[in-house]
Amino acid sequence: MTTLRLIGVGGLLAYRALFNWTTPAMYVGTLLAGPTFQLLFFAYLGRQLGVADDGFFILGNAVLAASSACVFGGTMAVANERRYGTLGHVLLSPRSRTVIFWGRVLPYAGNGLLIAAFTLLMGTLMLGLRIPPAALPGIALALAAGSLACGFFGLTLGALGLRFRDVWVVSNVSAALLLLLTGVNVPRENLPPWMADIGQFLPITHAAEAARLLAAGHGLASAAPALGTELLVGAGYALLAAVLLRVFEAESRRRASLETR
Amino acid sequence: MDSEYAIEAEGLRRVYRTRTGWIRPRRETVEAVRGVDLTVRRGELFGLLGPNGAGKTTTIKMLNTLLIPTAGTARIRGFDVVRETREVRRRIGYVFGGDRGLYDRLSALDNLRYFAELYAVPAREQRHRIAELLELVGLTGRERERVEGYSRGMRQRLHIARGLLHRPEVLFLDEPSIGVDPVAARELRRTVADLAANGTTVLLTTHYMAEADELCDRIAVIADGRIQALGTPAQLRRRADGRRVVEVEAYGVPATALTALRDLPGVRETALEERGALQLLTVQSDAGVDVQGDVLRELAGVRLGRVNSREPTLEDAYVAIVNAA
Amino acid sequence: MSAVRTLGIGTLMHAKHLSRSSFEIALALIIPLVQATLAVYLFRAGDEPHRLLEAAVGAGLMGVWSSVLFGSGGAIQNQRWQGTLEMIMLAPRRPVLVVLPITAATALTGTYALLATLLWGRLIYGIRLDFAHPLRFLAAALACVAGLGMFGLLLASTFVLIRNANALANPLDYPIWLLSGMLVPISVLPSWTAPIAAVLPTTWGARALREATSGGPVWPSIGICLAISTACLILGAFLLTSFERRARAAGTLALS
Repeated sequence: MTTLRLIGVGGLLAYRALFNWTTPAMYVGTLLAGPTFQLLFFAYLGRQLGVADDGFFILGNAVLAASSACVFGGTMAVANERRYGTLGHVLLSPRSRTVIFWGRVLPYAGNGLLIAAFTLLMGTLMLGLRIPPAALPGIALALAAGSLACGFFGLTLGALGLRFRDVWVVSNVSAALLLLLTGVNVPRENLPPWMADIGQFLPITHAAEAARLLAAGHGLASAAPALGTELLVGAGYALLAAVLLRVFEAESRRRASLETR
Repeated sequence: MDSEYAIEAEGLRRVYRTRTGWIRPRRETVEAVRGVDLTVRRGELFGLLGPNGAGKTTTIKMLNTLLIPTAGTARIRGFDVVRETREVRRRIGYVFGGDRGLYDRLSALDNLRYFAELYAVPAREQRHRIAELLELVGLTGRERERVEGYSRGMRQRLHIARGLLHRPEVLFLDEPSIGVDPVAARELRRTVADLAANGTTVLLTTHYMAEADELCDRIAVIADGRIQALGTPAQLRRRADGRRVVEVEAYGVPATALTALRDLPGVRETALEERGALQLLTVQSDAGVDVQGDVLRELAGVRLGRVNSREPTLEDAYVAIVNAA
Repeated sequence: MSAVRTLGIGTLMHAKHLSRSSFEIALALIIPLVQATLAVYLFRAGDEPHRLLEAAVGAGLMGVWSSVLFGSGGAIQNQRWQGTLEMIMLAPRRPVLVVLPITAATALTGTYALLATLLWGRLIYGIRLDFAHPLRFLAAALACVAGLGMFGLLLASTFVLIRNANALANPLDYPIWLLSGMLVPISVLPSWTAPIAAVLPTTWGARALREATSGGPVWPSIGICLAISTACLILGAFLLTSFERRARAAGTLALS
């Protein structure tokens, strides 16, 4: 029970303290308008070049919309601790770090879900896409799975921040790579096989696939495998983040590199 | 347009308005400077002393055109700081303490080249002037290194070189020795004294009393946004004339004892300064009254170190002035 | 003459300062390469597989715009954080002479993206760099840098005058890419966007580059791009002067 509390309350507090985008202007600009513009950009580009229909881009980019909040949020969850010089104090806590840091991902993932849903709404309204109402619960599930997986992916990047100074380069480039490799904007069959293969191991890929299946009217049953894979990918990053955090913590105590500032 | 004064200020006031909060913004106004009058002669080295938040930096920034006064006027070499900014800026240099304000990823040389250009140093003279200043501040030989690798003292010296590029007639030095080691601080004082000796007007703010005492022709003590005292160091010291100072090293002086000390007959000022575990208690009294015995009686039960009775210094005068404000 | 010298040296120094930030460089080089790759596969997947050179040029120009948007938009705020804003504003110069080099430098360093995408296209995808008008391409690229630098000044002065404008401008990369037709001119956009596109210097810069790449008159587009940019520069200079005065009145030149 107390562990749950640590995940929930501790995560929320850390979210407010460490998330750099909580002013309304920043939130609206970066997290709401940004993904919508991105969606429109690719949808119109797709129309112009005749790559795929609107639905392909709308669903893909809606799922991807969660990524900026989650990837950067997850990175901030760890990296800003170091920037503010509070990391040492957190690590001094007798509680399990794994639980502490996993807890931090939840608010970011929740936020990502909200943004993804908003982007989907804007996309469908502005470009006039009809989604069968029966598909909505399933799509919500897909957006949530994508957000969660992205959050743990971000946490993994944040863990790298304990070891490498330029973690923001890593997260910026990772966010751009998600754009390319997850098949959100380029149909996967048009990517070189090795790129598509990397995409299999990234968050978003399978969630976008599930969302597209659902929106096309296939039932939850046909989208279930993709949804499951997305969750599996997320769990994989959660584990990887935990391992990296543990390794880098041990290493930084040995090399006294925790507080580099 | 030629004034015998380098700096003239009349009734300078400055109010800051701040806005905090998002949903329900809270507006506050703070009056940082509440009417400052001062004149500084050409070639004079003038000190502005005061506790943190007294209004020193605000005063300097009104004089050097960075802030527009809320009320009052100021002129530099006869030019109005609000209306004739370009004329004023041609004639002034500004150096502040701390390690910000430089382009870290550029070398010292590039920083100086850039600012020489901005500060309108004629192209023909730039190379010579920069070399001369690097020599003056002792950075020759390291000028091609990036500033990010510089120590605080080196940055401070680079700040000074930058402030002098265009041979300003009036130089504003805002706590230039903050965070500088003692040896570097001494060199800094020598540089400043040389500048003044060669005719540059210098307005200096500092926390270090000895620095002000050694350098300044005249000193203004500013507290609470107003000038509380103004005169030569000797004149200010005389404020503490007829006084005697007892210094006591102590550990854990209770607040009640401090209040009791203040009420002793003959006691004029008390000050308590933390020095690590140790506290330094300073008690100023009328010279005619020997309070040492009374002081020690009040401190009965407190662990004490060295006890010393001495003549007042400029610092004691300063404490008296600031406490009276 | 001395003003030109000041602009030149200032731009050079700021470009040097920007170029030495590993963060800026990594982003300026890597992200456009990802975008270029994306563009190549999109073009191949679509109806235009033969226009890969345009994709590489377009992705590069997108990088230039990102550099200007984030660099110039935040130019004054960045100087404030570094503590250099007061020192440069103290110069006995017009504010525009002090700030234009900063925004010009962001356009100049943005060309790293253009060079990178062209090189990338050549090396990885074997895109032949056979421009229809090589010299005019160079002229168009220079016009883009100059034009975007001047446009950047307008951004810098606007963003600093409007509270939170910087935050709201964060997502402006995609709309400008889209409206200016940087990757491809989008004929399928709603018609109300056409007038907006027509007044953006980026539209004409992108058009000049495309004409030089695939054939077209080039010079008229360069001329319109520079004319609009000059108007932006003049407007920006007025705004800056007003900013300087307001900042001195409000005491916001320093960080604290």
